[in-house]
Amino acid sequence: MRIGVFICHCGSNIAGTVDCPSVAATALTYPDVVFSTDTMYACSEPGQDAIIQAVKDKNLDGVVVASCTPRMHEQTFRRAVERAGLNRYMFEMANIREHVSWIGKTKDLNTGKAAELVRMAVEKLRRNRPLMAKRFETTKRVLVIGGGVAGIQAALDCADGGQEVVLVEREQSIGGKMAKLDKTFPTVDCSSCVLGPKMVDIAQHPNITLYTCAEVESVGGYVGNFQVTVRRKATHVDWTKCTGCGLCVEKCPSRKHPDPFNENLCNAPSINIPFPQAIPKKAAINASSCLMLTKGKCGLCAKVCPVKCIDFEQKDELVNVDVGAIVVATGYDLFDWHKYPQYGEGRYKDVITSLQYERLLSASGPTGGHIKRPSDGKEPKNVVFIQCVGSRDKSVNRPYCSGFCCMYTAKQAILTKDHIPDSQSYVFYMDIRSPGKLYDEFVRRAMEEYGAQYVRGRVAMIYPKGDKLVVRGADTLAGTQVEVPADLVVLAVGAESAKGAVQLGEKLRVAPDQYGFFVESHPKLKPVETNTAGVFLAGACQGPKDIPASVGQGSAAASKVLGLLSKAMLESDPAVSRVNPARCVGCGKCIQTCPFGAIKEIQDRFGNPKAEVIDTVCQGCGICTVTCPQGAIQLEHFTDNQILAEVNALCPPKMFANFE
Amino acid sequence: MSQLDDLKTAIKSRLGDLECVIGWEQGYDPLHATPLFIRSEADLDRLIIGPLAVHNLATYLTGWKGKKVGVVVKGCDSKSVIELLNEKLINRDDVVIFGLCCDGVVSQRKIRAALPADPGFVESVEIGADSLKVTVAGQAATLRLDDVRADKCRVCDTPDALVSDFLIGKAHTPAPAPSLKCQDEFEAKSDAEKFAFWQETMGRCIRCYACRNACPMCVCRDYCIATSRDPLWVSQENLPSENMMFQMIHVSHLAGRCTECGECERACPVDIPLMLLRRYMNKQVRDVFQHEAGKALDQTPPLLTFKVEEERINERGW
Repeated sequence: MRIGVFICHCGSNIAGTVDCPSVAATALTYPDVVFSTDTMYACSEPGQDAIIQAVKDKNLDGVVVASCTPRMHEQTFRRAVERAGLNRYMFEMANIREHVSWIGKTKDLNTGKAAELVRMAVEKLRRNRPLMAKRFETTKRVLVIGGGVAGIQAALDCADGGQEVVLVEREQSIGGKMAKLDKTFPTVDCSSCVLGPKMVDIAQHPNITLYTCAEVESVGGYVGNFQVTVRRKATHVDWTKCTGCGLCVEKCPSRKHPDPFNENLCNAPSINIPFPQAIPKKAAINASSCLMLTKGKCGLCAKVCPVKCIDFEQKDELVNVDVGAIVVATGYDLFDWHKYPQYGEGRYKDVITSLQYERLLSASGPTGGHIKRPSDGKEPKNVVFIQCVGSRDKSVNRPYCSGFCCMYTAKQAILTKDHIPDSQSYVFYMDIRSPGKLYDEFVRRAMEEYGAQYVRGRVAMIYPKGDKLVVRGADTLAGTQVEVPADLVVLAVGAESAKGAVQLGEKLRVAPDQYGFFVESHPKLKPVETNTAGVFLAGACQGPKDIPASVGQGSAAASKVLGLLSKAMLESDPAVSRVNPARCVGCGKCIQTCPFGAIKEIQDRFGNPKAEVIDTVCQGCGICTVTCPQGAIQLEHFTDNQILAEVNALCPPKMFANFE
Repeated sequence: MSQLDDLKTAIKSRLGDLECVIGWEQGYDPLHATPLFIRSEADLDRLIIGPLAVHNLATYLTGWKGKKVGVVVKGCDSKSVIELLNEKLINRDDVVIFGLCCDGVVSQRKIRAALPADPGFVESVEIGADSLKVTVAGQAATLRLDDVRADKCRVCDTPDALVSDFLIGKAHTPAPAPSLKCQDEFEAKSDAEKFAFWQETMGRCIRCYACRNACPMCVCRDYCIATSRDPLWVSQENLPSENMMFQMIHVSHLAGRCTECGECERACPVDIPLMLLRRYMNKQVRDVFQHEAGKALDQTPPLLTFKVEEERINERGW
């Protein structure tokens, strides 16, 4: 083999503490190295041209560049090597910047270490072989999971981009959390007025198929070719006929179960349309409370229905969809504040969550938009808001900031004053976090124009006194304890991962973090990608987000999907695992450990079980290779022998030392 | 009826539909047993059980995969069977398990050490309630069974087979010692002392792979990575470092799978105390994953699963 080595100065980044010419001279003594030089900026155009020229002049068949981290420039050099006519995998990179020059100060030690890293790269390269990417076709269809604002945006953008979209929503209507809000910050415009048109677009877009009351049952396949099964839960109403007239809702005699859309503030009929702007505007029966389904008598809805669409016999239905990409937009749920003893653990009716307060403010809510406290229906005059309930609190395993609570609390304080001009709002807060366009101005308006009293401190307890609740807390700025008599206490509960998100993540092979939010590929540079190719994230399922950020991420995910599906053929990364069937004993341990479901059991022609890697699903993580006890499964480009060669380059075994 | 008769009756009842039943018979002398493959009722006469029946016969099961066989197991051996079942290396339907309630087995190594000279060929052995009378070249020596008991029996908490189709004998209430003196003493040594110890013991290793071949959980056999040139993890050089590397591979391949049956150490012709490594690794697995191999059916060894977060490994450190 003929190897060329290029030692990059990176200006003074490397050359400042590494003697680059000396490293280049040492590299010439390594086996198979026929050319070695140092260069000012290997990544610059002249730098790349020099590499290409050297490959041609010296007839090289492998290149080592010692410079920065491969995360920066591996692609650059691979392409350069390819332009020179070599296979892109006949290239190795030694990181002598992040791993040497930036972390060590002593020049000769650094120089020695750099030379050793180059030796490792040379030894690895000597065992590299050309790898070719496979090409495969894609299904031009997108699955969007979750019909909140992020999912709606992603679905609309994908559909406008010409792709077929299947939108799956667990609840009866799309709209998600945003549909429950009254107004939105920082412009205080009506939430359903801005969301409504988008929801209607979903219903009417020719490219979008909407399944509500549906969940993803299973996901198979790989990027470009996923096979998804969707479970459409029985609604006991034939939606092809239902006109959403609402006659059944009016007549239903069973109204004893709490209404989840109204955050359990009131009861709902057993056959219901959750809110006036619901999409699709179809009725559905709650099987757990319906008299006909639980006790076998009633059937009033079936009698009054003008189109006879009630079907008590309806069963869940499984629908198979083939898609090329998946957008996960499953959103968030609210923290269960009952864990906190200081807020009464649910004993006081007039301690409510911020989302319940939104429903009280909303004209489509249980009180028709008049603020009435739950206990006696009186109009509250003193409203206390408590922030960071289930946010920034290690004691309940929620150390993160939910991000949007500061803003919605300010909005609710403003709306309280609008609804009840002689009211007074108090806000107990830790810090105000309002970075965003017009956000801080908005909070200042709540304080200055709407007179909300902001008290910096935590609340120690809430106790009843007469028909009021006394909120006792610290005022850390004044250094005193304060007690505020409140008619209503609103808890700014934080966000946590949506219920069932972790289980869905398992099906999609997308890893959740320790709080259940899905992990993106890179926190800065790949915020909507996941580590499973073809699966993208949008909205609060990746971490708490407000509406603008969720919409932005929905569009971002859609652009990734459109980019992916715009290619006629996809290329798979050839650095994937490969089974040596002669060594494989068919024990199946690799199948058990593979986090991506990329290995399947096959039978050889003698009927023996063997493992086989599905190239396109394999992400090259290497877990199977360390699991396989007999080394039968090897990760291409990172084989045991290649890695052992690197280790041996650093600490030569005695045998090599004796015989070389 | 004695335990042996009960066992014979049980085997007889199933022998018809089985390829063979694996048990023990007397070996080249009365002190040494050897595995017996019972194919007909006539073979049954040679069957023995008792303190000399040391082998873990579960080792043979993977070799019979696809055929219906019976196997006689002690409590410790049954753990290996469970582990093989849990790893789907054998099918439960294909194995008939004759479980014994075991009173413990001997260590040939301890017997050899307790006799005045290397016994060579033993003429007769009489097994008493708590003693063993060994006659060599006309000279009888009486050993206390307690003195020559295998190490694993001292800490055994599963004397009765944990999984079986026939459970034969009277159930025990185990009273295991909390730990083994030899293990405690070894672990108390300094790193330098341990290094010197392994330097010496691994120098003795002749790489015969008896430890591997006797291990019920070593299922790669001809494809063992220790004898592979590609990938080349271990060279064939007979150096303490390479020999130790092989043992390290063996131990890590057994992490969370080793049932501490002690076959590796028993099979070693040069007396390397391999169980020191196994017990240490098992302790780590117990501490980190709260897992004990072979104790229950339908467990997955912790290293054969993929979990993003391990409950007891704090990787991100909030």
